[in-house]
Amino acid sequence: MTDETHPPHHHDAIILPGTRRIRLPGGIYTFVFVVLAVLTLVEIFLAGMPEGPARVLVLFGIAIGKAALVVIYYMHLKDDRRIFAWTLLVPLIFATLGGFFLLLSPAPYSL
Amino acid sequence: MAEATAHAHHGPSPQEQAENIKFGVWLYLASEVIIFSVFITIYALFRVQNPDTVFHVREELGIALVSFNTFLLLTSSWAMVMGLRAIQAGKQRALIAWIGLTALLGTAFVGLQYVEYTELAHAGVAINNTNASVFAGFGMRFYTPTAFHGAHVIIGVIWALWVVWRAWKGHYSTENYVGVETFGLYWHFVDVVWILLFTLIYLV
Repeated sequence: MTDETHPPHHHDAIILPGTRRIRLPGGIYTFVFVVLAVLTLVEIFLAGMPEGPARVLVLFGIAIGKAALVVIYYMHLKDDRRIFAWTLLVPLIFATLGGFFLLLSPAPYSL
Repeated sequence: MAEATAHAHHGPSPQEQAENIKFGVWLYLASEVIIFSVFITIYALFRVQNPDTVFHVREELGIALVSFNTFLLLTSSWAMVMGLRAIQAGKQRALIAWIGLTALLGTAFVGLQYVEYTELAHAGVAINNTNASVFAGFGMRFYTPTAFHGAHVIIGVIWALWVVWRAWKGHYSTENYVGVETFGLYWHFVDVVWILLFTLIYLV
C-alpha cells in the first residue's frame, strides 16, 4: 500500500456567483456538504413552525433541492453520461405521477 | 476500423468496462426508485388521511434524535465522496480512512435507528396496532420504509468494509477506482432516500 504525496487538488477552488473564488479543503464536495447541513438546519427550524400548505411546500422544496445536490455533485450526474440521468429520471417521473394520482384521487381508500 | 478490430479481439476497453458497470448500478438504482416510491406513496396517503395519528406519534418521539441521525448520514456521504477524491489523487491511505469513516457513520446511524425503534415500541407504536389505538395503522407504514432503508444502510456498511479491505490490498489506483465509484453511487442513493423520508415522515 502506498500513499504518494500530491500537490494540492486543483478542485479545491470554488467559483461562487459573482465570479468570486474561494478555496475549501475538499473543494465542491465540502461546499455541497456545508449547503446540505445548513438546509437541514433550516428544515428542522421550519418543522417547528405552524402547520400549513406553505410550510409543506417549502419543506418539500428544500428536500428536493438537497436530493438534487447529492445526485448532481456526489453521484456525478453533472459530468457523467446522459443515459445515467435518464435511467434515474424515467422511473422517478412515472412513480411521482402515480403517487400524485393516488394522493389527488377523491376516493376515500387507503393502502 | 482498426479500433473496431481491436475491440473484436480484446473486448471493451477498461474505461468502457467501467462505464458499463456504472450503468448496471444505475439500472439497479432505477428499480430501487420504484420500490421506495411505493413505500413513500403509501406513507403519504396515510399522512394525508390520518393527520391526528401522525401528530400523536410526533408528540411521543420528537425530532432531536432523528435530526442528529440525518446529520450522520449526510456526513457519511461527504466522507464517501472524499474517499473517491482521495483515490483519484492516488492517496490509498486517505481512501481507507474516508471509507472507514463512512462505515463508522453508517453503523452509528443504524444503532441510533434501533434506539428510536425501542423508544417507539415503549410508546406503543407497533406494526399491528389495533383500531382502538391512537397509533392505529401507523406502525406498518412507518417501519416498512425506515427499516427497508436501514437494511440498505447495513448492506452499505458491509460494502464499505469490503471496499476498505480491497483498498488495503491495493486493488484501487488512479486508473482503477470504479469499485469505489459504484459503492459511492449506492451509498449516495441511500442518502437521497433518507433526505426524502426524513422530510416526509418527521417534518411535514
